[in-house]
Amino acid sequence: MNVSGLNTRSVTLSSLPNPVQIALDRMGLPGTDFVGMTGPLGATPKDTIHAQGTLKLHHFRPQSDRLYRVPVLIVTSLVNQPYILDLVPGQSMVEFLLKQGFDVYMIEWGRPRKEHQHLTLEDHVLDRLPTCVEQVLAHSGERELSIIGYCVGGLLSVLWAALASDPKVHSHKPPLKNLVCMATPVNSDGLESLRAWMGPDFDEESLLSQHGNVPADWVQNTLRALRPLGKVAGAMNVLNQAGNEEVIRSHLRMGKWESDNVPFPGGVFRQLVKDFLRENRLMHGNWEMGRQVVDLKHIRVPFLHLLAQDDHITPYASSRDLVLRVGSKDRQELILKGGHVGLVAGRGAQTRMWPALDAWLAPKSV
Amino acid sequence: MEQPDWNSLSPAHLWRDWIAKSEAQWSESISQMMKNQQAGEALNRQLSELQLMHRQFSELAQASLAIANMPSRNDFEALDERMGRLEDGLAQVQASLSQLTRVLSRSPGVRSEAAVKAPPRDRKPPATERKSRG
Repeated sequence: MNVSGLNTRSVTLSSLPNPVQIALDRMGLPGTDFVGMTGPLGATPKDTIHAQGTLKLHHFRPQSDRLYRVPVLIVTSLVNQPYILDLVPGQSMVEFLLKQGFDVYMIEWGRPRKEHQHLTLEDHVLDRLPTCVEQVLAHSGERELSIIGYCVGGLLSVLWAALASDPKVHSHKPPLKNLVCMATPVNSDGLESLRAWMGPDFDEESLLSQHGNVPADWVQNTLRALRPLGKVAGAMNVLNQAGNEEVIRSHLRMGKWESDNVPFPGGVFRQLVKDFLRENRLMHGNWEMGRQVVDLKHIRVPFLHLLAQDDHITPYASSRDLVLRVGSKDRQELILKGGHVGLVAGRGAQTRMWPALDAWLAPKSV
Repeated sequence: MEQPDWNSLSPAHLWRDWIAKSEAQWSESISQMMKNQQAGEALNRQLSELQLMHRQFSELAQASLAIANMPSRNDFEALDERMGRLEDGLAQVQASLSQLTRVLSRSPGVRSEAAVKAPPRDRKPPATERKSRG
């Protein structure tokens, strides 16, 4: 028997066909070259124009010969990497907005370390976000800007907009021209699963005393538990489309992003669990921040809320009140097909959400 | 004549298709079961136990790794923290350089890549543009 002549890999492949492996072989990619398969993520050319601790404020280089007057600031979520909004060319909301002629800035909150465990919502809403607004205005030379907030980023934007627009505290209107929220939860009555899991029996102090911040894998497992078999279904779909190179690449990109959560700052987590999730203070009108009560009625700028029909992370019951509570005369809610992530980065986003966002924002950005 | 896609008729393909299509209902059913107070209590008990186990195992592993002269999870975390601080420092340098370049590009007589003019901010939405041209 000629042992040296055995080729385990080809024997395995011929006896047990693995459609994904076959597809990867056909594409000429070794199975471990993930960077080669996904391409560089979040690679739209940009400059970091401001940094504060872990926070970075990016300015994307314009891709149009004429820009809309009003710059756009994207406020991303605290628990995910911001590159979901800028995956790869052709699958990037940022790139789409740049090509439509918007001047785009983005806040990357960064990965909090132990020394950042005490960062609170006030630090984000009353210090870091307003500083970024000032930086965008100084950099663009404009007096007002539009904000697009995604998920928890939407909540932070709404809190800032409401507090900065309170006429009892601020004599001047904030430099906000338009506010767009995407899949933003405001009513914790609609977050039934999270509320059941993080109810009075949940000991967040024990978790925070052990880790400081909420570990990234804990965040990831909680989000996955909201749709327990989601990963299985995704894998089945990929196996059935294993011959389609673009489907494989897209699945890998999304998979890479989904497994790339960032830790949740301990102080913010504590407030969100107690004040937002358990006591639903935003809806009851008794959420105080920096000695000010947050009242959504103070938001009077044109307002758009983009929602996903099958969002398991921000269900409609948790987000539908936002458009009803803001004080804007010009307010609109758009419910689009898809899920929480598909809303901003999927195929549906390219054909439905991004054009809808452009159609709403462009006339208000001159 | 067009060949039928035999692969899509294979039992494995049909089974996977069925799993994928019925996943939403299965997930919804499981979520409904887990949405109550009892499930929350059970999960939290499990979480507390896991945390305790994790802490005890970490302490044990750290002692064993120290004896074997090998780095522990804490050492890697400390390294990660240090790398994070370096990254943040670099971002601050990058931001300062960006501001400096911007100021320099506005100075008269400076010819550099940074001096490339920013596009004018006078874009109009397509409908308005068509109207003004018409």
